[in-house]
Amino acid sequence: MAVDPITSQVIQNRLSGIVQEMQNNIFRTGYSTIVRESQDASCMILDSEGEVVGEHVILPLHIAALPEVVKAIKKVYSGRIFPGDAFITNHPYVSGVTHSIDMAVVIPVFIGDALIAYCASIAHKSDLGGMVPGTGSGNARELFQEGIQYPPVKFMDQGKVVEEVEAILRANSRTPDVIMGDIRGQVGTGRLGEERLKEVVSRYGLEVVLETFSDLQLKVERRVRSVIASWNDGTFEAETWVDNDGIQLDVPIKYHVRIEKSGERILFDFSESAPQTLGPLNVRPPLVRGCCYYAMVAMIDPELPNNGGLARVIETKFRHGSVLDPIYPAPTNTYMASATAVTEAVLQAMNGLVPEKKIAGMGGVGGMVIGGKRKDGSSYVQYELIGAAYGARNGKDGVSGVSVLLDNAKTAPIEVLETEFPVRLRRFELITDSGGAGQYRGGLAVRREYEILTSKAQLTLRGGKHTEPAFGVDGGMPGRLGACIINPDSEGSRDLPSRFGGEELKEGDVLRIEKAGGGGLGPLSERAWEKLLGDVLDGYVSFQSAQSDYGADPEKLKSAIAAWNGEE
Amino acid sequence: MNVENRRRLRVGVDTGGTFTDFVILDESSGEIDVFKVPSTRSNQSDAIVSGLANYLAGIDELADAVVFFCHGTTVGTNAILEGSGARTGLVITDGFRGVYEVGEQARGQGSVIYDLFFEKPRQLVSPRYTEEVLERITATGEELIALDEDSAKRAIEHLVRHGAESVAVALLFSFKNPQHEQRIKEIFSELAPWIDVSVSSDIAPEIREYYRMSTTVVNAYLNPLLSRYINRLDVKLREIGVTSDQRYIIRSNGGVASFSSAAARSVQTILSGPAAGVVTAQHVAALGGIENLVTFDMGGTSTDVALIRQGEPVRRMGGKVHSLDVLVPMLDIHTVAAGGGTIAWVDDMGVLQVGPRSAGSEPGPACYGRGGVEPTVTDANLVLGVLSGSHPLAGGALKLDLELAKNSILEKVASPLGISVLEAARGIIEIVNVKMQEAIKVVSSNRGYDLRDFYLFAFGGAGPLHGCQIAEEMGMKGVIIPPYPGVTSALGLLLSDIRHDFVHSDLVDLSTLAPSGMKSIFDSLKSKGTELLQSEGFNMGQCHFELAMDLRYGGQGYELTVGLPELPVTSDDLASLRTRFDQAHLQYTGHFAPDEKVEVVNYRLAAIASVPSAPISVSVSQSGMVDQAEIGRAEIYVGRKWENVPVYQRSRLPVNGRIEGPALILQNDSTTYLTSGQTAVMNDRGYLILEMSH
Repeated sequence: MAVDPITSQVIQNRLSGIVQEMQNNIFRTGYSTIVRESQDASCMILDSEGEVVGEHVILPLHIAALPEVVKAIKKVYSGRIFPGDAFITNHPYVSGVTHSIDMAVVIPVFIGDALIAYCASIAHKSDLGGMVPGTGSGNARELFQEGIQYPPVKFMDQGKVVEEVEAILRANSRTPDVIMGDIRGQVGTGRLGEERLKEVVSRYGLEVVLETFSDLQLKVERRVRSVIASWNDGTFEAETWVDNDGIQLDVPIKYHVRIEKSGERILFDFSESAPQTLGPLNVRPPLVRGCCYYAMVAMIDPELPNNGGLARVIETKFRHGSVLDPIYPAPTNTYMASATAVTEAVLQAMNGLVPEKKIAGMGGVGGMVIGGKRKDGSSYVQYELIGAAYGARNGKDGVSGVSVLLDNAKTAPIEVLETEFPVRLRRFELITDSGGAGQYRGGLAVRREYEILTSKAQLTLRGGKHTEPAFGVDGGMPGRLGACIINPDSEGSRDLPSRFGGEELKEGDVLRIEKAGGGGLGPLSERAWEKLLGDVLDGYVSFQSAQSDYGADPEKLKSAIAAWNGEE
Repeated sequence: MNVENRRRLRVGVDTGGTFTDFVILDESSGEIDVFKVPSTRSNQSDAIVSGLANYLAGIDELADAVVFFCHGTTVGTNAILEGSGARTGLVITDGFRGVYEVGEQARGQGSVIYDLFFEKPRQLVSPRYTEEVLERITATGEELIALDEDSAKRAIEHLVRHGAESVAVALLFSFKNPQHEQRIKEIFSELAPWIDVSVSSDIAPEIREYYRMSTTVVNAYLNPLLSRYINRLDVKLREIGVTSDQRYIIRSNGGVASFSSAAARSVQTILSGPAAGVVTAQHVAALGGIENLVTFDMGGTSTDVALIRQGEPVRRMGGKVHSLDVLVPMLDIHTVAAGGGTIAWVDDMGVLQVGPRSAGSEPGPACYGRGGVEPTVTDANLVLGVLSGSHPLAGGALKLDLELAKNSILEKVASPLGISVLEAARGIIEIVNVKMQEAIKVVSSNRGYDLRDFYLFAFGGAGPLHGCQIAEEMGMKGVIIPPYPGVTSALGLLLSDIRHDFVHSDLVDLSTLAPSGMKSIFDSLKSKGTELLQSEGFNMGQCHFELAMDLRYGGQGYELTVGLPELPVTSDDLASLRTRFDQAHLQYTGHFAPDEKVEVVNYRLAAIASVPSAPISVSVSQSGMVDQAEIGRAEIYVGRKWENVPVYQRSRLPVNGRIEGPALILQNDSTTYLTSGQTAVMNDRGYLILEMSH
């Protein structure tokens, strides 16, 4: 039976309405700062096979993780999935979860006896045990140090909370109330999706809805294949680098992709990437596939639904034992730097396929956690995702101070941080000259400086690009490197690498985080004069750099600045 | 002219992109006049003043008969959209340029995340107009670094030298301790009194520095423009002889403010237009004893929906307006890009899409015959027969061409999809109706409200055409269609109370709070409100205050606003506050945690002065038969077949007249479409009411 095109589109609108409603609900009902303020959580509807049919992009890699989660649940609980169940898992290997601080919650949707879909969400937690507050340690050497691993288990069994599971969850978190609040919010969100999906089925009929599920995927598959067919055949390669794995600080990590494009097929071969790392930089293949989905949607059409139809088209090849296909139980908690580097490599290689959408390298991504005890003895975890910068794009400068590519976190308000945590901000600014020079300048990076106001705290950083800068394209320069400095401009100043865990901080210590700038695009000499002058007046480019990097005539620049200052 | 017989006129003027709508109420007779004049883009006040003058001349009345004037303006909105605000400077705490330049840091949701070529929303102040001053207040409001007045003077000199017309001052923790900001404002008035200075501790004294700063910047950006506009309007009204001091502008919170108050806080006027429609709905509901409504204002390019619950519109304390972050209380109006002019198209996957692009008023839908070739929702309605070429739109100004509509749908939708023009038209309407249903859900069921308890208040030019069908499909309680759907917003201008919102931000544990501490905060807000209302000429007998607090569970980043009874606050009030917060949380999120700590984030007070209530009804003939209102028949395509339905003239419908659907009811500014099985009744005030049984 074929659903008529109108009904199919109406149901698609309904599904997207449901996912948005779920998404609003999860942000609204979240307890932790991460879910509510950083919005590190995504909701989805998947069909009975575990393929995505309804999504509303918040974090693109979550879209790649949840199908694996559902497939793992189906495998473990085959024949034992019932209405009213709610499953949880955070396992990167068994369930394909991004990293074990993210918890997936999955609700099966039944019509009568038939399991027709899953309503799922995935959300970052404040703490699930492990070596350091906030769970993800840059020093982890195996999965077991990255918090407690939950394979798919029932958190609710036919409508009733499994008290043993809740007890284990609570016993293994430094912030039990907060994580339980978030998990309850996720369950409520899944139930909401379940209820809404049932309304759609009762209105349009089960067969029509199921037909639409496959129709939606088929349409995307056809579109993607026809666009691929329109590209030139060939092989395209690119590689990007991450500083180190946080353990072996002098070994940069390589991410390599070879794209083989032929007719309407496209293969992403990652087998020449670096061996798996001792430190937690590893990323599992389902997420690397997610990076490919991201790049394909970006290149084809940002409005393209990222559903199971796209997943079907993407062919991938990995080398087992590599950083992109690590052997259990290699640690994975700082995977985001790898995922970003993979995405950049894929985008760069695709410059050969879609030359009108070139983009230079991105500033480093990653989170920062300060945890410890307040002076009154209460413990706290301050988690922040500090934005970086976009590389320059064809015809456009990069964007400054922004979450890049796969990441989409909000900045944490200073006034909230200082009210809730023993910390004081000293600076928050864009860094002059941090954007890679070029005809189109890379985006500027962010500097944040903190003073620690408690006697005992630990710092964990999951940063990047302290030694490997964001690359320039077509003659553009790389972006400025990032840095993490304790007590800068003082005798006891110490530079820290981009990834580590458990660094002790004491009262009065000053912590300076500098993110990396984006790469430039095109020859510097082609930079338009008005743009260069504007950058100097706005403090984005220094006088010195305008002169020495861009080759601006210092007299002309001086007189233009004087004119702006009304000093002619 | 005999003084006793003089008219007392209340004038509401709502400026839109194409037309300026007037609603004029004669207080003595209760009669309402409604008319439209073309808007004047260069200065909106020209159309207002000449429109009013011509009307007065037409009824042979002097301008001093105008006893009340209220205006909904789009000057602020337009300045934001066109980038035509003032050259604005920004003064911030030393070291914190990142607050404004980074903003939220996230890119938003949806497809923008994949868009490698995205840009951040335009910043209204460039870094070269941003000046840092040495100072720092701590989280507890103490002075860590005293204000260095020399650095403040240098900042001011710099901004003056570069021609800033308006300046925003937004320092860290100024909501805790405003002294540094206030001192900088004083220095400005000493050194550069001609510069308009907006201070964050006045404009949005709330925690979260970026949002407070952004709000203050928007205010500074708009203030000079809006003050000039309002001054000019004020002068011109006096020139034509309007003497009344009762001159108001409606603001985003659904309340009105005197010309001078509105001009000083321009950021509060940016949702001026849509707010008035919600106010009308609220008053209609109150008169008819209906407590729960969803307002549905469907125009040419978009549809605005809002929720009224137990007679009160839902408000929110901030949000994005034209992608700018503003922390000002506003009616919680949700807008979806779906209106009569919304364009239907087939995407690369062969899927029918409706919107978000609109044909606007120029060239407009294909059937307008003004060169539009893309099919719109209006074209689809014409093809389906619910609009008709022989019953023109907008009071006869627009003739609709069926052939042009058919051709555009054939070419752009039906042929690519391989379906008939009729099926394509039906599909366009079905999809746009679903979009609007999803918008209604955003303000209702998404927030835990059950639509079965709500009426749809359908207005705007296209609201009555789609509203009855939508309400039916969503299982709503009924539909209310006001007498003049096209000018319902302007009507609200005659009904809005004067409303000033005040906030005090202080993050504390609710359990540590004593009634006396709360009382002193509310007292201070109340004295600000009293002062402002008295300065606007109100005596306290006309005024009242609404109290509320923004509360959250400990560490949550999201607050819920819970109302309080009148002052003074007692310890019983505090205890019940806790319970009511738990209940509100349960309603809104589906769960609550009575054992968790609750924190106070903000104290809110609204100072309200009531305007005398106005009868808002039209005369309806007391006798006569529904049959006499039937002016013809129409063929409409419904349920995949043609059906012959009666067409009524609304103005001829008698009180208690019952119209059975399917039927079309025509009037100058709108067409109502009743579907099969629906019954509408004309009430004695001229409202069409549909009760639905499910």
